[in-house]
Amino acid sequence: MSNKISHSTLSFTLVITGAPYSSQAPQTALFFARAAVAAGHRIDRVFLYGDGVHLASALASPPSDEPNWSRQWCEFLNQNAVPGVACIASALRRGIVDEREQKRYELGANNIAAPFSIAGLGEWVEGVARSDRVIYFHGGS
Amino acid sequence: MASIRTLHILNKRPGHPAFKSCLSSLENQDALLLTENGVLALVDKGLTLEGCVYALSPDLKARAIPGDASVAQAIDYDEMVALTARAQRVISW
Amino acid sequence: MKTLVIMNQAPYGDWSGREALDMAFSLAAFDQPVALLFTGDGVNWLRREQEAAAISQKAVDRNLAAATIFGVTALYADQQSCHRFGLDQHTMIAGITLADTNAGLLGEYDHVISLS
Repeated sequence: MSNKISHSTLSFTLVITGAPYSSQAPQTALFFARAAVAAGHRIDRVFLYGDGVHLASALASPPSDEPNWSRQWCEFLNQNAVPGVACIASALRRGIVDEREQKRYELGANNIAAPFSIAGLGEWVEGVARSDRVIYFHGGS
Repeated sequence: MASIRTLHILNKRPGHPAFKSCLSSLENQDALLLTENGVLALVDKGLTLEGCVYALSPDLKARAIPGDASVAQAIDYDEMVALTARAQRVISW
Repeated sequence: MKTLVIMNQAPYGDWSGREALDMAFSLAAFDQPVALLFTGDGVNWLRREQEAAAISQKAVDRNLAAATIFGVTALYADQQSCHRFGLDQHTMIAGITLADTNAGLLGEYDHVISLS
């Protein structure tokens, strides 16, 4: 993360640590991300950590009159070609699994929502080292 | 526009331990941005906020918190992004 | 790029403190300068002789005592919080630097993380 002060284009890493439906973090982060892209900034990656990994579940099914934050995030990531990464240690503990981890641990199913992927904290360290700004969206309770 | 040394983003209700930690870390050239439950600080009579304070307008509206411009400037997400770009560093509490 | 990870959550009752520690150790593993600040309820991570096996969790006091070997540059504890929870050099693990949180410690870091 550089200390560049600029009104021009910056690169951001967004880290979401609060879960959908138990915190406001994924919503605030999504509105922030949309505004950042609209202002011409680049989002290097969105990293889900701790309870934030629940956002990568393809199985969350809120009532039809409530926003589906996982789906809205996936749409944003797809439209803007932004990588979405769930921390592997946080994700496996909480039952967020991709096909590779399903095979590795011989689990009955996988549930990660595309385009989210699962990777290690090294992805976050890369953001800390390279992005101009790393912004955290935590749970509120 | 004056430069911001540290932008503190505070999404915790005033009773949360991190709320106090955040306020006690504020320094002269810093700015405070209240988001989510943090905006309750503007109607908490036990609190006096000083310095450069912003509050996220959608969170104020959602909670029917009257924005007092003499205490905090209400901003939208575009302005929140601009603040994070202006600040030398950002701490989310 | 110096990072300070603030540990302000009590141990064992939820996972966020453990996951904050993982972040710090991960930065250190990638040779990024990182320090830890224990403050508020978080100073309770520093008690000696934790027996987390009693609740089927992994104890972290030994990891913390070895943190500087893993590359964490310093472990700070907020003096007032230690006082509040009755922690002193006899009850705390070794290698902790007492600090006054408000005395500009945060200002020395480019990147400050508070997972709370």
